[in-house]
Amino acid sequence: MSLDNILNHWSDYRKGSEEGGHHDYEHRWAMAINLDLCIGCNACSTACYAENNLAVVGKERFEKGQAMHWMRIERYWDQQELEHPEQGASFLPMMCQQCGAATCEPVCPVAATYHTPDGLNAQVYNRCIGSRYCSNNCPFRVRYFNFYSYYESAWPEPMEQQLNPDISVRDKGVMEKCTFCVQRIRTVKDKAFMEDRPVQDGEVVPACAQACPTSAIVFGDTMDEGSMVSKLWKKHQVERGVYQKTRHAKKNADLRGYRIFEDLNVDPSVMYLERVREDI
Amino acid sequence: MAVKNRLINPGAGFARAGFAGMLFLAMLLVSSMAMAAKYDVVPPSGTHKGEDVPQPIEFPHNTHVKDNGINCMYCHTYARRSKVAGIPPTSKCMGCHKVIATDKPRIQQLTKYWEDKEPPPWKKVHDVPDFVHFTHEKHLKTLVFDREFPVEDVKEVCAFCHGELENMTVANKVKPLNMGFCVNCHIKNKDLGAPGDCWKCHK
Repeated sequence: MSLDNILNHWSDYRKGSEEGGHHDYEHRWAMAINLDLCIGCNACSTACYAENNLAVVGKERFEKGQAMHWMRIERYWDQQELEHPEQGASFLPMMCQQCGAATCEPVCPVAATYHTPDGLNAQVYNRCIGSRYCSNNCPFRVRYFNFYSYYESAWPEPMEQQLNPDISVRDKGVMEKCTFCVQRIRTVKDKAFMEDRPVQDGEVVPACAQACPTSAIVFGDTMDEGSMVSKLWKKHQVERGVYQKTRHAKKNADLRGYRIFEDLNVDPSVMYLERVREDI
Repeated sequence: MAVKNRLINPGAGFARAGFAGMLFLAMLLVSSMAMAAKYDVVPPSGTHKGEDVPQPIEFPHNTHVKDNGINCMYCHTYARRSKVAGIPPTSKCMGCHKVIATDKPRIQQLTKYWEDKEPPPWKKVHDVPDFVHFTHEKHLKTLVFDREFPVEDVKEVCAFCHGELENMTVANKVKPLNMGFCVNCHIKNKDLGAPGDCWKCHK
């Protein structure tokens, strides 16, 4: 939780979900992404740029791998040996998986990245010293480092007016990553607090899910049994802290759910639903 | 040669320091963690008085609050329902000052702004950094409305962070409003539900 908590519970800080974790969670935000619905249009990525004050770095820096896209679409060819129209592209939206037992957290020397009671991997920009350990330890490569003061050039004169005031503009030397739109979660939680009621399912909608034209992204709280995302996870028999070794062996076409790098036991919060393909 | 090298690339010298360097880093880490655990970073009282912020009209808070007993939230009405307390619109001032004290020079100044249809360019005094998420409404709900604290005494709650405005004319920053100030209060009021999570305030 807080730094206080991290210092007092350093030894069980790495306890995974299968051991009960170390948190009294208030929420556990999670996603379900249906790859069958994803058409690779990049709307989610664009929405993320607009929502989270992401800097456009330009072609040269992009080629060096310094792009700041918190949400990126990875493209795969199903049949690489064929010519272009027949190759059959598959798309996979990739963002921070908000792991339950995140590899980025314990390596941070200043506790700038830590686990919140909402089950998110927080990144506190003020605390970050830019050691980049977290990025190097992330198996998903979804942490992005500010190598330059991008704000100097990314938003020329009138464009700084479109920056989102609910999230800070990061300076050089700071690591950043997808936050599951924590500013939207915060706003909804504040509203619920003022109205003395719990947060409802479907109230928090991250920018990517909002922009998705095919509604491939479902966002919600897995601690809420009735939420859409809980039902999807249950339907595809994906559970936190459980590695479904046998699922693929079963060859049950109805169970399409999987989590990327589940075998690393990082316990990601994003479930993907496999794309349905006709056998050729 | 070695000296020259070190001048061009200070990093090379540091790498050669090897074990000693690592030890230094480790010590730095441990000491910084121990310091962070204490949260003792509030400057002593009286040392953090803000600079005088010149306002377009020298607004006397003392006359309104102390002499006339007007509630803070009569003018700063957004405090209980939004993130910011807000500066009242000129129409609110004119609601009273069309008839009250119209002969005073400061009111005549105000009336001129009103007749020119221009808002007085009030300056912000209590400004937290852009990376801080602070909501007035949640603090007021917890500290006043949920505790059934008498609303007519709300100025005592406001004074936690804003100082005793009944004794000031133009508002002046008298509390540090830094992270230590916030965290100290949040730790003391854990049972009121004050969160200790970084991402509750840092954005």
